[in-house]
Amino acid sequence: MNSFGGMALRYEQSSCRLELKGLPDVSAAPQGQNNPELLLAILTSWELNLGQRASLQGKREHLEALVETVLPYVNLMLSGAAQKQTSKTEAVVLGPRGRGHQLQLRSSQPNTPPLDLQLDDAELADLTQCLDQMLLDPRQGLRLEQPIAIAKKKRLPKPPSLQRWASPTAAVAAVALCGLFSLLLPLPRPTSPGSPQQTNQNNKP
Amino acid sequence: MERLDLLLLAIEALDLHGSEAMLWSCEQLELQQAFPDRVALWKSRCRNPLRRASRRGEWTAAEQQGLIQLVCSLSQRLYPMLRQLLSSGEPDELSQQRWALFAERYNDLIGERMNLKRGAVRQLLDEKSGAQRRREVVQTLAFCAGGAGMQRLETSLMDGNK
Repeated sequence: MNSFGGMALRYEQSSCRLELKGLPDVSAAPQGQNNPELLLAILTSWELNLGQRASLQGKREHLEALVETVLPYVNLMLSGAAQKQTSKTEAVVLGPRGRGHQLQLRSSQPNTPPLDLQLDDAELADLTQCLDQMLLDPRQGLRLEQPIAIAKKKRLPKPPSLQRWASPTAAVAAVALCGLFSLLLPLPRPTSPGSPQQTNQNNKP
Repeated sequence: MERLDLLLLAIEALDLHGSEAMLWSCEQLELQQAFPDRVALWKSRCRNPLRRASRRGEWTAAEQQGLIQLVCSLSQRLYPMLRQLLSSGEPDELSQQRWALFAERYNDLIGERMNLKRGAVRQLLDEKSGAQRRREVVQTLAFCAGGAGMQRLETSLMDGNK
């Protein structure tokens, strides 16, 4: 906490550093305590440093947009169904590009072109860890939503109808042919019970 | 089931003392009720149908939760190594050497413990598809590292897409 009563929280993971600056909500703190544990409840600004690649700053809505884009994208990626994610305000877009990930940030300032960053898996993992640390931090009272994206179950493509019907048709045809051939087989002629005796008598010397 | 066991196998391939680290982590995470000893953990992992000596039956909720917790905790410990493997900023030659070493250990462990007659196991050992599978395993470990990774891993295991 600084001399003006402001608070700063910092989260670091290899190439990524996230810093939140804000004010504690003193009214929400229990009264009568000498040293109450204050939560950073009012976010005045935040800064995200992606190594030497970029340094981003923004307000609460930009941080919300980053959280609601990055975490669902990672969830879908783990399920093997990575697809482009766009925040509600369309300020942040994250999608797969080549072997990495394309992070697009649209500034709220007029006449500012969007920032296009190519992140590899390691950088995206760092960013995810930083956001995780922030969301799990008990000193942070921003009540940011933790979005969960569940990938739709992949459906295997249907094989072409010819391929689908080939096996059952062949099976039915085989049964029909077997039946037909069995009908064509000559039945053994019934022998009359007296005839063998007659032949025996005739053969007697 | 298969995925969790393969993630643990990848942890063993990354860390030579991985099996000891698992037992130590079980104690740290207070998972002794689900896995009181080495044999109980091994028996639990043998529920993977791809195993050479596979055991029938399903995991209990405590066992599944315990294994997820174990994977996330161990991947947090191995995060610097996972990051090195996934980073495109590392020198190509060094990165290739690291992947080759990981592939060798991982494939050795698969050959030792899995049923090689199964198509899924043969795919893991296949030169072409195997490399992609190994990358996916390392990616999963990197993204599920830490406490918040648990929910992520659980969700991805439940949706049945992989």
